[in-house]
Amino acid sequence: MNKRELLNLSWENLWRAKFRTILTIIGVVIGTASIIVMVSIGNGAQRSITSELSGIGSVTTLQVYQDLGSSTGSSLFSVGKKSDKPILNEDAIKEFKKMDGVVAVTPVVNLSGAEIDVDREQYSASLMGVDYNVLDDMRYETSSGKKPNANDTNSVILGKEVLSSYELTSTGPQAQVSTLSPEDLIGEKINIIVRKTNADGEEELKTLTVKVSGVLESTGGSEDYSIIADYDVVADLNEWQTGQAVNIKKQGYSEALITVEDSSLVDSVTQKVEALDFTVFSLQQILDSLGSVFQMLQILLGGIGAVALLVACIGIVNTMTMSIYERTKEIGIMKVIGASINDIRNMFIAESTMIGLIGGIVGIVVSFLLSFLINFIAGFFITGGSATISYITPGLVVFALVFSALVGLLSGVRPAIKAANLSSLDAIRSE
Amino acid sequence: MENLRKDFKLGKNSISILKGINLDIEQGEMVALLGPSGSGKSTFLNVLGGLVPPTSGEVLIRDFHISEMTENELCLFRRDHLGFIFQSYNLISTMTAIENVALTLTFAGVPKAIRRERASEALSIVGLLDRMDHKPSELSGGEQQRVSIARALVNHPEIILADEPTGNLDSKNSTDIMEMITRLNRENNQTFVIVTHDPEAAKYCTKVIHMRDGIIESWEDQQ
Repeated sequence: MNKRELLNLSWENLWRAKFRTILTIIGVVIGTASIIVMVSIGNGAQRSITSELSGIGSVTTLQVYQDLGSSTGSSLFSVGKKSDKPILNEDAIKEFKKMDGVVAVTPVVNLSGAEIDVDREQYSASLMGVDYNVLDDMRYETSSGKKPNANDTNSVILGKEVLSSYELTSTGPQAQVSTLSPEDLIGEKINIIVRKTNADGEEELKTLTVKVSGVLESTGGSEDYSIIADYDVVADLNEWQTGQAVNIKKQGYSEALITVEDSSLVDSVTQKVEALDFTVFSLQQILDSLGSVFQMLQILLGGIGAVALLVACIGIVNTMTMSIYERTKEIGIMKVIGASINDIRNMFIAESTMIGLIGGIVGIVVSFLLSFLINFIAGFFITGGSATISYITPGLVVFALVFSALVGLLSGVRPAIKAANLSSLDAIRSE
Repeated sequence: MENLRKDFKLGKNSISILKGINLDIEQGEMVALLGPSGSGKSTFLNVLGGLVPPTSGEVLIRDFHISEMTENELCLFRRDHLGFIFQSYNLISTMTAIENVALTLTFAGVPKAIRRERASEALSIVGLLDRMDHKPSELSGGEQQRVSIARALVNHPEIILADEPTGNLDSKNSTDIMEMITRLNRENNQTFVIVTHDPEAAKYCTKVIHMRDGIIESWEDQQ
């Protein structure tokens, strides 16, 4: 008996007991759909959080620090002895620049608690000093205006939210609303005010007048609330405020930013920098570790869905077994008139595989509908727009299809062998 | 040329149903196995058809050792060389007459178009061409038996085994069926082995074998 005939016959057999077949298929549909929807929710959560995180900063930027973790860990033993930890100084930065895929490296100095004076209103802001020589190569794009030239150290870039900073009042943080937007200040001169309390307990002010060159495109991160200025300018202010001169050569920069050409190179650059005993933070690392968390979540959700498919699997076994009892006489007749053991066995296996496959296909359609519905409702009630709470990947579809067919096939094996081994004479005599 | 030879002995420990039977049947013969209930005639037929393995002894059809075949070989052998007719017709109730007839050919791997052609040919031999799309429940007993004869014929087997083919039929239908079998036997030179307890039906056969208590009591040739 050739394969097509076998499939044909099995197909006809299936629809001779329509109601039972449909009920069994519905079981598989529910099982498949529950796995797909469960995993798709895990997928959707991962996607929305990943895209949220990707919005916070550039995936191609690495933050490098001196290896803080291990130096404090070994401080007990390294007292009085020179630490052999590498220092994040000019040499280190030169080393980074030589690495494959590195576009720009800059030391970073941060100064918080500065104020800017705009239109007689004062707004708190933090300063971020970077090397203007590489500013063009860094992934900081201006939404309006332009980046200052390398030697134009008197110009700054404003973060998008600089003028909507919060002010700590006695009743808690309060938004300062300004009628001005940062864009209005492009080309204007503003005063940056830094305060310190000197040794005598008196407050001293230092004012720096700078020119606004451009406004930074919103990154969603801390840059939005910062003013980007030249490294040396901010470093000077910092030194004035803390009253301590920093010996870069010995103490190193507090932070450096490495801009990598492409996100695919982030991992290799991270490894190389870490090999030099520096601590690296990148969005990629966070995303990677989140990835494994979400994988766990998906396995968990998929496992819950799999319970439904297990029940469906038992349903298939039940249906096939019932079918054999019902069709015992028919099996006997078929064996007498020339069906081989293999024919009978394959016929039943084909029937149960078809149940699995049809259930899988319908289940996929149903889960797309459910997924759409979940996203629609979620979008309607939660985000007020379109949301992807449930996201079905092509891989998930293929997996569900193969898995449901496999479940059907495996569920059919035992009943099919039982059917094939029926004694034809006993079977034909049964009623 | 076609020398059919069946040597057969069977002795069971507990209950011996066939107690040693030796019999030769020639190609083209129409043999009636006559005997009362419990004489072992049906069991003998089932052993011939490979449906029941003999406890001991040998069944030889042409060059095939039926008693030594595996279950699968027997299925294929039945498909290619044997036709069966049963007392209770044994048609598949959910299939139409033509589907029932064509099913044998399906298992033999015959293409669909040829299957239909040969099945309707077989149905026309038994005179049921006009009822080929009816299900068994829509056919009379005589018609159902004729469908099952068509099914036995469709694969052009050398041997057709019939177990009480007229057992459930009235005398009019019985006569029709037996005449049809006789005609097929003469025209196609097919060998028939018919189990019956109806002496009327046995009259049509060329050889009548009387069985009692698992042995052949007597046998006679008739014309």
